[in-house]
Amino acid sequence: MGAILGYFKAIGLGLWNLLVGLSVTTKYFLTMKVNTQQYPEEKLPLPARSRSMIKLIYDGEKDQFNCVACMMCAKACPNSCIKLEGVRMPDGKRRMTTFKLDFSTCIFCGYCVEACGFDALTFVSEEYENSVYKRGSLLQDEHAMKWARPAHLAPKTEEVAPAAAGASAGA
Amino acid sequence: MITGEQILKTVSGLLHQVLSSAGLSFLVPVVDRIAAAVAMFLGISVFVMFLVWMERKVSAHMQSRIGPNRVGIFGLLQTVADAIKLTIKEDIQPIKRDKVPYYIAPIIAFVSTFMGMVVIPFDRGVSVQDLNIGILYVIAITGFTVIAILSAGWSSNNKFALLGGFRSAAQIVSYEVPLVLSVIPIIMVTGTLNLSAIVEYQAVHGYWFLSPLYVFPVLVSFLIFLTSATAEANRAPFDIPEAESELIGGFHTEYSGVKFAMFFLGEYIAVIVSASVAVTVFLGGWLPFPLMGWLPLPGFVWFLIKLVLVIYLVMAFRWTFPRLRVDQLMAFGWKVLIPIAILNLLLMGVFELFLAKGA
Repeated sequence: MGAILGYFKAIGLGLWNLLVGLSVTTKYFLTMKVNTQQYPEEKLPLPARSRSMIKLIYDGEKDQFNCVACMMCAKACPNSCIKLEGVRMPDGKRRMTTFKLDFSTCIFCGYCVEACGFDALTFVSEEYENSVYKRGSLLQDEHAMKWARPAHLAPKTEEVAPAAAGASAGA
Repeated sequence: MITGEQILKTVSGLLHQVLSSAGLSFLVPVVDRIAAAVAMFLGISVFVMFLVWMERKVSAHMQSRIGPNRVGIFGLLQTVADAIKLTIKEDIQPIKRDKVPYYIAPIIAFVSTFMGMVVIPFDRGVSVQDLNIGILYVIAITGFTVIAILSAGWSSNNKFALLGGFRSAAQIVSYEVPLVLSVIPIIMVTGTLNLSAIVEYQAVHGYWFLSPLYVFPVLVSFLIFLTSATAEANRAPFDIPEAESELIGGFHTEYSGVKFAMFFLGEYIAVIVSASVAVTVFLGGWLPFPLMGWLPLPGFVWFLIKLVLVIYLVMAFRWTFPRLRVDQLMAFGWKVLIPIAILNLLLMGVFELFLAKGA
């Protein structure tokens, strides 16, 4: 008798558990809460220091790039995807003339940004939609990578000072 | 109020007029059947497309997602896009397939379930053929899917497909028994196998679930029927013939393109047929909901509302319950469903014999 009662008890318990499960899913179905973002229309706010695209910093006041073509980034690059050339200006300082970064082989490791001693390369956070239709479009030059730093992201003077000192020492 | 029967009579009357004015009145019976078949096929196809969309929406909202929302308004045309994609896909076949069963299997899977729709009464007097052995016919004809699945699994020459086919044979044969046993109490009370006669019985005596005498055994019958119908249609939580995590795709591993689409269509039509039988036998078919008879809705609209509700239940099963293991499936079928169905049959017999008035 006990065995028979246990049989029906197990069935009843199973049925009850199934109903509990159904009630959970039905609750979610009826509330229609949505936890996903519809990507092209809705975009997640990115943290200020998130890293997406590598850019060349352009100094608007001096009307020139910060880059002095010291080749440190090209040497640091594990895939050798950075090609750049520079000239020595009449005042004795070096200036970059062409800068080419092939994003089709770039792995965004950031070694070039770290190696840069002149605050000339940086990661930009917002530009993460970098799909292109032609592979060649991924080879970007200094015009495509030009990025004017907004005022609120400008480096503090005490941070710039050693870099500037290093620059003069290097030159 | 317009009824389904009037619409049917008007359409067929128009058809007869056109044919007799063309002097082809001897073609009337043939054209009648063909028109019914075409109308069924179109209606079922559109309904299946709606169901696929509904299933994706239901599952999405149960998982806090949105689901298809790009193609058409609310993503309603998503299934059309999927169907177009399936039809233009390359048809990849195994070289060592067994040709004849390989080609026939998807056709059987589709046709056998589709033929089950023939006897379903959508409204008073509206069915393709009002057979007096309706329930028997539906259960027998949908049982053919096991041949399709077995031959698909065997002829694909793939061990996963073969395993899926064997599992399916075991499953469908086991769950056919409780399926029939769950309908028998109703047949015992109504005294008929005719589906529209069963609805007429409910029209006279009221809904099963409103009668204090029948509510318990009919509820048990309904649950057993839904469970075994889900198993018959190879849907989760009883989808061990397909079991993505164990058998890749099960019996349809080696099918692609249109042939796969026919299996897919067959599965959904099986759900529609089972849900239609459940609505007809247990939920009063085309009758309006209690206390809502004053609404000016024709019978087939009530039928569709109930059908969608039952299919929602089947979908909720799929997206709620974990899949059973093979031995658990067999144990559940033979050790739980069948004894309970037999006990239920006994209970209904006792009620009918000693308690029912005028029996």
